[in-house]
Order: sequence, then structure tokens, then C-alpha cells
Amino acid sequence: MPKVMIPTPLRQYTDKKDSVEVAGATVGEILGALTATYPDLKKNLYNDEGKLRSFVNVYVNDEDIRYLGKDKAQVAATDTVTIVPSIAGGR
Amino acid sequence: MIRIGGEAWQVMRAHAEAIFPNECCGAMLGRNDGETKHVTVALPLENVHAGPRVTRYELRPEDLLRAEKEARGRGMDLIGIFHSHPNHDAYFSETDLKNSCPWYSFVVLSVKDGQFDHAKSFLPNMEQTEAPEEALDLPG
Ligand SMILES: [Zn+2]
Repeated sequence: MPKVMIPTPLRQYTDKKDSVEVAGATVGEILGALTATYPDLKKNLYNDEGKLRSFVNVYVNDEDIRYLGKDKAQVAATDTVTIVPSIAGGR
Repeated sequence: MIRIGGEAWQVMRAHAEAIFPNECCGAMLGRNDGETKHVTVALPLENVHAGPRVTRYELRPEDLLRAEKEARGRGMDLIGIFHSHPNHDAYFSETDLKNSCPWYSFVVLSVKDGQFDHAKSFLPNMEQTEAPEEALDLPG
């Protein structure tokens, strides 16, 4: 099963697990199943309209899903899905 | 509250002064005991903002991922992000807020004429609409 890596501050919502194995063939299916298992994770990743929040980046192995079809990005059983925030700023 | 250890603080301060007059940025690693976040390691990261870096900073997601792995390897958490405001006070600007992430503490270091002046920590909310100040405990 594909593995999802959980950022350290979000592990409080995944029973302290740093990675979770989730069944699914696309990023949408996998994140859907993950947030169904851990509902407290959902509001951290998705806004009220059900869209990924602007600061959430998702990678399949080392590829940003923005270049892989976003929610429809294909995920193989041996792949790793990683959640990484995007952070910037300025005065 | 967030408490920054001596070694980590030295690294943050030195990095902010070295990168002046540009904005610096980096990651803070440590442990959160539920009440206090103890930062023991600071990792300077590259400011990859494409335009002038005097007023802006941007972190490379790959670098954040590396900071995550580094934290995991040391049995720590990625607790926060720091950046500097060259010749400006340590406040959380509109740009800071709109590009923030609520999972972390954001420490801002004010550097004036190349010397560290003061620092503050902020906790942005999920909707990126406000970032209340967080108590910050610096060494000596
Ligand atoms: Zn700023």
C-alpha cells in the first residue's frame, strides 16, 4: 500500500504515527481515505470548500502533484506520498 | 510558549546578521512537551525568493522536507520557522500572514544596521487572517 508521510506537527492527529499506509490509486483517493480515518487531520489539509489549503503541498515520491494532475495524480503501491507546507513572507 | 536554547539562538542570530541586508530564513527543531516548545537546533535555509530578498523570503519545499527528515532522524519535531526583518521591527506582516502555515511557530528577528535588535514569535491561524503573538523565551 502507498505510504503517506505525516509532518511532525500533525502527528497529534494520527495517533503519533509519522507515516500511515493507505489504500488508493490516486492522491485524491489516498488523502480522502486518510482524512476519513483521522478526521482531525482534515481541517488542517482542506478548507471549507473541500480544496487543499494554499499552504499544503503534496508530493508523490519527489514530484509535486501540481505537475502530476493534482488530485488525480497516480500513486503506485510502492510510492510515498508526502505532505509539505509552503512557506514564504516578507515585511 | 516557545523557548529557544543557547546554541540554536546563536545560530539564528548569526544567520540573520550574516544575511543582512537581505531577509534570512530557517527552521527550528526541538520538542514540544505540550506546554512549552523547546527549540534546541536551528537550521539556516536558503531564501529562494526570485525577486529582491531585502523585503521577501521564500523557503524551498524540498528544504522543508529535509528539515523534517533531519528532525525525525534526531527524534525531534520541526517546531517553527524563523526569518528576519532587516532594518524593521519584528512584526507579522500581511505578506507573512498570507504565506504562513498554522502548524508552526514563526519567529521574526529584527536586525538593525547589521545587528540583532529584538525578536517576537507568532502563531498564524488556519485561515491566514490573524497571527497572535506567542510568548518567546530567549537565552540570557
Ligand atoms: Zn516577515
